[in-house]
Amino acid sequence: MNAPIQWPKAVNEIPKAIFTDAALYEREIETIFHGAQWHALAHRAEIANPGDFKTMLLGRMPVIVANGEDGKIRVFFNSCTHRGNQVEMASCGNRKAFECPYHRWMFRTNGELAICPGSEEFSPGFDKKDYGLRELRTAEFCGLIFATASADTPALESWLGAVAGTLAGALGGDGRLKLLGYQKVRYASNWKAYSDNDGYHAPLLHVGFRLLGWQGGQGSQKPTPNGHLAFESQLKPVVNRDFLKDPSLIDLKATDPESGSLIAQLFPHTVITKHMDVINVRFATPISVDCTEVHYAYFSHADDSEELVRHRIRQSSNLLGPCGMVSMEDASIFNRIHIGSFTPGNAKFQKGVKRTDEVWFDVKQNDESGNLPKWNYYCQLMGFQRSEVA
Amino acid sequence: MLGIDEASLALLDNLQRRYIEALDRRDMEAWLDCFSQDADASYFCIAAENVERGLEIALMYDDCRARLTDRVTFISKVWTGTFQPYRMRHFVQRIGTPILDHGKLSVVSNFSIATTPEGGSSSLLAVGQYEDSVVLDRGELRFLRKRAVYDTTVLPRYIVYPF
Repeated sequence: MNAPIQWPKAVNEIPKAIFTDAALYEREIETIFHGAQWHALAHRAEIANPGDFKTMLLGRMPVIVANGEDGKIRVFFNSCTHRGNQVEMASCGNRKAFECPYHRWMFRTNGELAICPGSEEFSPGFDKKDYGLRELRTAEFCGLIFATASADTPALESWLGAVAGTLAGALGGDGRLKLLGYQKVRYASNWKAYSDNDGYHAPLLHVGFRLLGWQGGQGSQKPTPNGHLAFESQLKPVVNRDFLKDPSLIDLKATDPESGSLIAQLFPHTVITKHMDVINVRFATPISVDCTEVHYAYFSHADDSEELVRHRIRQSSNLLGPCGMVSMEDASIFNRIHIGSFTPGNAKFQKGVKRTDEVWFDVKQNDESGNLPKWNYYCQLMGFQRSEVA
Repeated sequence: MLGIDEASLALLDNLQRRYIEALDRRDMEAWLDCFSQDADASYFCIAAENVERGLEIALMYDDCRARLTDRVTFISKVWTGTFQPYRMRHFVQRIGTPILDHGKLSVVSNFSIATTPEGGSSSLLAVGQYEDSVVLDRGELRFLRKRAVYDTTVLPRYIVYPF
């Protein structure tokens, strides 16, 4: 038995053991992923037509996100209401109905049970109406589809709180998007290390910014009490464009440089970003204590010209993904945080830390202290007691 | 003169060997040298899942010679020291018969890439198909267009080098 994790008194410190503790990971799945939080599972643009669906995991629970024949998007447990068989195997597609092959029970795209062979010999009182696919609470924001397995999750708008404005901006303002495609990858990292990127690292880690003379513009960083974080910043023009043989890759064609970079990080670990002309939702799934799967979904806007779509495709493919010009380094850091976290002690945040006795929300753009409200929220949510002594 | 005879097939296979040797050595200049000098020389690395759905987002989208050169610059100069080095062994197998059209050979090959992190054990990085368009350039066969379509729906790690 490992010693119980002791949460430090200072709010700028977190125990490294939380990244590697397998028992804690199990508690997180129950408390956070199956608990009272909203989880982004799809954007409407991925399943734009009636009958379109995609399958995902909500924590460990398989779900189907389905656009019904009636045009309403619902989220169901991907499990037959009869004996629990997985209903849909494909990662995406279009169906007139979902059929469980085991006993040929068939469900309409709105979840209703349509066919169940031999039902005249079922148990007394059996009623098809009680056996529709089990539907989760679902809510939509600018086309982004959220679900929660808990009845206690607050309404989506109050859960999003102050991050809603940045999120809407990152989703193109009105969420009228078109799917451009995916990059999918697994990182050898705990989900919390994956989602703990900060405002301090960007100009230091990303050498590409320096070589391009790409100074960060003015910006802001706003944490919420329930663990979200919104970044908004200007994009300054690249000084040293000649560093690239093809600088057209980093042109801004549809983006006002004044609000060129919008990032909404939603608790626990969904990131929605509109950086330059890239519109990107990073759907993340915890696979195990040391593995996190991320689906980078890229979008264009419904009003884009053909030329702009082409530009978004080449910029999106090369800029911010698992081998992107200014993001590959982030991916390597996730793995290294994980490896380093097997050593004793606490990770300590410094940049922008004004006090250590309680969290605050007034943080600057390049502070790493913007992550502290999230850590404080996590600490409370998981029922850790802070140490009495420093 | 390019044809579909034994001699041309041998040259074609030689190009594929040069290509995978360059990547296995992580020699990005040698990788670049496998592509034609044509300004439209291109390399794409894209998930089969996207191709099947008609989606164009790629993992690497280098639609001109200048982009190929910039990729070499990033790997060789910009990213130095930020990623954990990993070895690769590429295995390539030409399948089907190449098609010759207006001086361009189109050829499809299966590929698999085994990877070994420093101090770690080996595993599969990706498998898929190369769809290549090959031309005579400076007296040798070189790629005018190369598309690596990978089956590995979810890649097992972040990626530095082309497939």
